[in-house]
Amino acid sequence: MKAGFKHLIFYLLVAFLCLIFVPLAHAHKVNIYAYAESGRVYSEGYFVDGTKAKNSVIEVFDEKDGTKLLEGKTDEEGKFSFQIPKATSLKLVFHASMGHQAEFTLGEDEVRAAMDAKQPLKASSVKSPSQSEVSAAKKTPKKERAEAAECKGLSESEIETIVGSAMDKKLQPLMRMIVQLQESSGKPKITEIIGGIGYIIGILGIVAYFKAKRSIKTD
Amino acid sequence: MHISEGVLSAPVLIAGAVLSLGGVSVGLKKMSYDKIPQVAVLSSAFFVASLIHVPIGPSSVHLVLNGLVGVFLGWMAFPSIFVALALQALLFQFGGFTSLGVNTFTMAAPAVIAYYLFNYPIRKARHTISMLAGFFAGVIGVGLGALFVAIALVTTGESFTNISKIMVLAHLPVMVIEGIVTAFCVVFLKKVKPEILEEVGKR
Repeated sequence: MKAGFKHLIFYLLVAFLCLIFVPLAHAHKVNIYAYAESGRVYSEGYFVDGTKAKNSVIEVFDEKDGTKLLEGKTDEEGKFSFQIPKATSLKLVFHASMGHQAEFTLGEDEVRAAMDAKQPLKASSVKSPSQSEVSAAKKTPKKERAEAAECKGLSESEIETIVGSAMDKKLQPLMRMIVQLQESSGKPKITEIIGGIGYIIGILGIVAYFKAKRSIKTD
Repeated sequence: MHISEGVLSAPVLIAGAVLSLGGVSVGLKKMSYDKIPQVAVLSSAFFVASLIHVPIGPSSVHLVLNGLVGVFLGWMAFPSIFVALALQALLFQFGGFTSLGVNTFTMAAPAVIAYYLFNYPIRKARHTISMLAGFFAGVIGVGLGALFVAIALVTTGESFTNISKIMVLAHLPVMVIEGIVTAFCVVFLKKVKPEILEEVGKR
C-alpha cells in the first residue's frame, strides 16, 4: 500500500511537471469582437479561455459583394485596427491556427456613423492633436471671423465636434467593457456544462428506450 | 481540436459526415442495452473534458479523453463522441454544425484505433503493462486526432508537413498528460470493475 502511495506521488509529480512545461499556446475556440469608432475599426481576437490571439490573420470583406478589402495581423495583444476602407457593412474573418476561425460583422449604419464622426474630428486635430477640443474650437472662430461674429457662439459643426469627441472619450471605457463582457460570455458556465451532461444522459436514455423496445420484440 | 465552421470545403465536410455516419451506425448497432449507461458516462466525460481549461502559465490546456473513450467503447465511441460534440457545438459554438461530421471522425476514429491496439493488453496483461497500454492509448488518441485534423486542413491549402508539425507539437504536452490520466483511469477501473473492459458487442 505504501509503495502504491509512493508511486502515486511520483506520477502526480510527473503530471505537475508536464503542466509546468507546456511550451506552446494551446488553441481552443476563438472569438473576434470589433467596433468602429472615429473612422477606424478596432478588432480583437481571443481564445475562449481569455488568452489573446497573437499574430493571427484578419481578413476584411465587403459583406455585400464579398470582395476582400484588406488583410492584417493582430499584434501582441491580439488587437488589430484599420481605417474604414469603404462605407458598407464589413465582415471580419479571423483565422487562428489549427482550423480555428471566427467571424464578426459590422453593420453598415455603425460603419457610417463612425465615418461621419471622423470628419469633424480630423479637422480639429490636424493642427494640434494633443490640444483639448475646447481650445481647438476657440481657434476656429479666429479663422472664420465672419461666421463667429454673426452668431457670437459656436457654430453647429463645432458643437458637433466637441460633443463627438467628448462622447468618444466617455464611450471608450464602455466599449472596452463590452469587449471584456463579450470575452467572458464565450466561456462555458458551470450550469451549461451540467445541463450538457443532462442532455447526454437524456439522449442515451432515448437510445435505451428504443433498444429496449427492440429486445422485447425479439424475445 | 474542433475545426470551426467555414474553414473546410464542401467535399471534405461531406466526406467527414459520411464517414462519421458510418461509424455512428456501426456503433449504434454494437451498442448493447447494458452498455448504454457506460456510453453516457464516457460521453459526458468527453463533453466536460474539453470545456474545463486548466490554466498553466500564459496559456491553458484541456483534456480530450478520446483515447479513454475508445479503449472502453470501441466502435461505440462514434455515437458517444458525436453526441458530446453536437452538444458542444449547440451550447458553446465549439466547432460547428457543418464541421460536426469531420470533427466526429477526427476524434472518434483514433478512439476506435486505440481500442483495437490497446483494449486486449489492458484487459489481459499484468498491472504495469496494462498501465503502459493505457498511457499509449491516451497518447495515440490525441496524437492521431491531431494528425487527422492536419490531414483535413491540408485541403485548405496549407502544406501537410507544416500543419501537421504545428498540430502535433502543440498537442505534445496534452498527449503526455492525457496518457497519464488514461493510464490511471484504466488501472483503477480494471481493479474496481474489470467487466467494463470486456470485449464490446459480446455478452
